[in-house]
Amino acid sequence: MLNILWRNMKWRFQNPLSIIITIVQPLIWLVMYSAIAGQTIDNIETGNYTAFILPGIIVLVTFSACSSGGIINFIMKTSGSYYRVLIAPVKRSSIVLGQMFEAILLSFIEILILFLVSLFFSVNFSINAVELLLIIILIFMTAFFISSLAYAISLFLPNEVIYEMMMNAIVLPIFFLSTALFPLENLFGLLKIVVWLNPFTHIINLLRKLMFNEVLLWNEFVPVILLFLLMCCISFSFAMWRLKKETSC
Amino acid sequence: MLIRIVNVVQQYKNGVRALDGLSLNVENGEIFTLLGPNGAGKSSLINILTTYYKPTSGTITMLEKDLCKEPSWIRTQIACVAQNISIDLHLSLMENLLFQSRLYKVDKKIAKKRIDYLIESFELSNYLKYPTSSYSGGVKRRLDIAMNMISSPKILFLDEPTVGMDVESRKAMWKMLQKIRDEYKTTIFLTTHYLEEADQLSDTICIMNNGKKVVQGTPESLRNYIRQDIIKIKFSNSVNAKKYKNLIDITGLVKFSNVKGSSLYCSIDNKRKTFIDINKWLLDNSFEFSAIEFVEASLEDVFLSLTSSNHNTKEDKVC
Repeated sequence: MLNILWRNMKWRFQNPLSIIITIVQPLIWLVMYSAIAGQTIDNIETGNYTAFILPGIIVLVTFSACSSGGIINFIMKTSGSYYRVLIAPVKRSSIVLGQMFEAILLSFIEILILFLVSLFFSVNFSINAVELLLIIILIFMTAFFISSLAYAISLFLPNEVIYEMMMNAIVLPIFFLSTALFPLENLFGLLKIVVWLNPFTHIINLLRKLMFNEVLLWNEFVPVILLFLLMCCISFSFAMWRLKKETSC
Repeated sequence: MLIRIVNVVQQYKNGVRALDGLSLNVENGEIFTLLGPNGAGKSSLINILTTYYKPTSGTITMLEKDLCKEPSWIRTQIACVAQNISIDLHLSLMENLLFQSRLYKVDKKIAKKRIDYLIESFELSNYLKYPTSSYSGGVKRRLDIAMNMISSPKILFLDEPTVGMDVESRKAMWKMLQKIRDEYKTTIFLTTHYLEEADQLSDTICIMNNGKKVVQGTPESLRNYIRQDIIKIKFSNSVNAKKYKNLIDITGLVKFSNVKGSSLYCSIDNKRKTFIDINKWLLDNSFEFSAIEFVEASLEDVFLSLTSSNHNTKEDKVC
């Protein structure tokens, strides 16, 4: 697994554009959107709209970074090394995990950049060690779920153009139909139910509470963790099943 | 026996039957060449033997293990040089070799020794400091093969390794493969559609077409098919070529003939005498032709020869 992770990280750092592209859009949201929309939204719990949308942007950057992990499958297929790895005596789970952890690692690097940038926009964090650990767990589970889903989807689709379109079609509705940009309390009717049913709404809400010193109730935290544990198991099994289908033996 | 393939069928979802009851055996330590035109099923067979595809039916035993029951173990014993060069261009030469050694869990110290030996052996030391993306096709292919030798495989599969290479590079590749067989005692299983390659390189040749074995034997035993003497007669147009084909076939001067464009290709015995006889026949009958020459036999000529021989009623032949 570490061998494949090393190989993919080498590719990533030799293609810095793939890092820049995945972080540019979330940065635009964080810097520009928060500056404009912040003037129109009152009574923000975190006091600062940039701080309010930061957890949502963290989830968005995780989506972008993990989606780009699937692209590597297309690149490796073109270069021929995909086939070489598949017929090597490597556990199928190591192949999937090696690639997923590259995307997860990239997510954390980009999130660190977001944190640093947000400091320039008067975002004041109030995080102790336990909260930091819980934040890492939540982000890791989000990244694990999306990266395994992206891995499986990339093996279903014929080329990277269709893959990109498919991932955008999945990621953008999840992002907009969450509490990334607006508090749940400001929504009404069916839209409020849809946003509440979105699992990422709860990840964003928990991140917000952890980052900005709001009271966190364990009975809010544990169900979300259990839900994401289940989602991660399903998406990882899906990725494994799809990879095993690639080689029939 | 190293590989035993019995009645293997490979049928794809679109209905294409790439392998149609193929049976063949590969002996230990030989260079075994699968010779056939594009679409004969060569790559499908390689994909099955390298555990990438599962056959629709049939049994394959490799190194005395059932391929479909123990693919993980078989993967530790084989390596495959794919049709397209498969090095990672973002890694350096050394990193590619290291990555491959880790994939096959080669001990670090052993890997270091093997890497040094392979770099020396495959004449790659001059390229160590340059990025792999700047290498020529021939150097990339050498690195590709060196990478696949890092695990010291018992069987090395090569899927059309010389396709697109010039004559000199091809001959260098043949030497390299013979060296691998002789020095590493690795059994080599390769596919090609070049007659000369199969003839020069192999210990055993299996000619296949339409997913079936046509004939298998040593290059010497297949000499009549592979090293045929062919005369090419060029006419002014394809209509004339077809007309003269019918006439020459009944003279008894040729074993069989085949029209390609405006030329007539004739398989012959007794090269010198028949050349003179055909010239005489053409001139005596005042048939108009623009050129006559000896040419190398093509794979198509081999198939024509096989199907027109006395044994053409048999499905499989062993010479």
